[in-house]
Amino acid sequence: MTQTSDAPMIQVKDLTYSYDRDGRTAIKDIGFTVGRGEVFALLGPSGAGKSTTQGILTGLLPLQQGTGQVAGQDLHRITRSLFNKIGVSFEQSNVYGKLTARENLAFYRKLFDTATIEPMELLQLVGLDHVADKPANTFSKGMKHRLTFARSMINRPELWFLDEPTTGLDPAIASTIKDIIKDKKHAGTTIMLTTHNMTLADELSDRIGFIVDGELKLVDTPRNLKLRYGERLVQVEYKQDGQTRTETLSLVLENERQRLQEIISQYEIETMHTKEATLEEIFIKVTGRGLI
Amino acid sequence: MKLLITFAKDIRLAFKSFYIYIEIIMAVLFVAILLFVVPEHFTTEHTVYVALDLPATARDFVMNKLSEGGEAGTTIVLLDSAEAVRARLEQDRSAAGIFISILADKINFEFILQGYEQEKVVNILRQAFIGEMAASVPGFVDHTTVTLLDSQVEKLSDRINMVPVFLVLNSVFVGLFIIASYIFMDKEEGTIKAFAVTPARVWHYLAAKVGVMMVTGLITGLITAVAVGGTQLHLFPFILLLLVCNGFGSVLGLLIASFFDSITKAMGWLYLAIFMLSFTSVSYYMPSFSPLLIRLLPSYPMLYAFRQIFLAAPDYRQIYTTVGIFAVLGLVIFLLADWRYRKTITI
Repeated sequence: MTQTSDAPMIQVKDLTYSYDRDGRTAIKDIGFTVGRGEVFALLGPSGAGKSTTQGILTGLLPLQQGTGQVAGQDLHRITRSLFNKIGVSFEQSNVYGKLTARENLAFYRKLFDTATIEPMELLQLVGLDHVADKPANTFSKGMKHRLTFARSMINRPELWFLDEPTTGLDPAIASTIKDIIKDKKHAGTTIMLTTHNMTLADELSDRIGFIVDGELKLVDTPRNLKLRYGERLVQVEYKQDGQTRTETLSLVLENERQRLQEIISQYEIETMHTKEATLEEIFIKVTGRGLI
Repeated sequence: MKLLITFAKDIRLAFKSFYIYIEIIMAVLFVAILLFVVPEHFTTEHTVYVALDLPATARDFVMNKLSEGGEAGTTIVLLDSAEAVRARLEQDRSAAGIFISILADKINFEFILQGYEQEKVVNILRQAFIGEMAASVPGFVDHTTVTLLDSQVEKLSDRINMVPVFLVLNSVFVGLFIIASYIFMDKEEGTIKAFAVTPARVWHYLAAKVGVMMVTGLITGLITAVAVGGTQLHLFPFILLLLVCNGFGSVLGLLIASFFDSITKAMGWLYLAIFMLSFTSVSYYMPSFSPLLIRLLPSYPMLYAFRQIFLAAPDYRQIYTTVGIFAVLGLVIFLLADWRYRKTITI
């Protein structure tokens, strides 16, 4: 398959995978496309099949059923050169504990046949430059996670796989990580995000796929999802008989629209906010399942 | 290049872990025991307690014969009675006894043994004694000749003779277990997955691990062989043989480990493999016991090839044949392991 500039970075169809090959599938008939420069999030609860899908796309799991291509390579015939183009940040930190942060990055850097980033530059980016020469086994869980995240950028990947990139991080560090992802997005990197964090998916993604029990239920942009499935609401606070009252009313249902007009015309309005449904609410509505 | 980079990383990690130091300490301990505890040649010193119930002339004759016929290292102690011999044997469990008396005008020899002696030993003792007595008969001429099929056979000192067994078990086959541990540590740490998403190949990963085992084997092997063998060691063929045999042991460990996802599950099979391979040391010390099953084990030809390394005039053909066979077998097993790991390394 020849890669052209318009060709999608990921295109998969009917991906099915079973760990035990006993008929019980971890994912079933998964199909989606991710365009060049797009941020695509697979959103789903633990065990939904997100990591399995990423495992197949990154060559860590063999393709059992289905077809597809990643960064111009057929998933049935992946060559090692693919890994010069992709970066993978794992959910579980996986660095050499007995090597320092700098040594970890220096080692991986040399395995690529493409231009790479200086280890210290990456360590500065994720705020680990002050512990560059300390063994990774002295790091906290969050620090190891940042080192794993930094390593995934070392080859300036065109296609970047991020598995739960902010899980377990404190809000300040998570914010730094999100900023780095946004920068890469603006620089044109294609990003495939797998997460159960709907805020993160909402904030970073161009499109979102809902995955539950190994099946991809829906793919769309966050805006379209909210327009299609989110009920537009207004939360209004008003004074009645000297007391503050609060009501949340639908802008879609006729009787509630009339009630809103009634409140506006009869009472003193203190605050009024439009409120859109969160992705989590939409997820539950579409899949019938929570995100945890 | 990627192989060298991975090897450099693995060797650095190996020196930061404890396995390599355990092996080195084992080698140093073994050398210390061989040099300071084990004599260069074993001697079989033992005591024979003798009681005689004979007339004075016969008594002198027998005592003369016993002292003439005794081997070097044999001490003869004369006691008053058979009961005294039995009592002494109960205190000295490594000794033997003889009670010689006259019964119905005939000399009666009674051997008093501990009970643990093999039937074979008892028969040899009996025949040797009869032979010795026959030789004292006037007119006896000894027509016995001994022919050796290999009259040039060179013998190692008892101390050096122990080195090949240690080399095969510590420097060659211990890698079988340790390389598996390294693989499972990487699986547990998840670093194997991180490696798998780089352009480096699985065989780079595996060969780097084998390289680490070879370096470890070379260090421990040299410590042992140089310290004990000294100038008797033929260095170049030794290093070649050690590296090839260690490589074979390591790839065997890789292949076995490829069928399991944890060290706990693999442990039984790895232990069984090492146990089976160590059986050959029985044949090495007791060459008359060498059934086909034992001769087919890889450690069997390795032991005898390592033995050659310490001889003044080694059989280079035997050494290089062993090197060739295990180089080819090692390569085949490595290719098999690579094929297995490409399918299973990240699952």
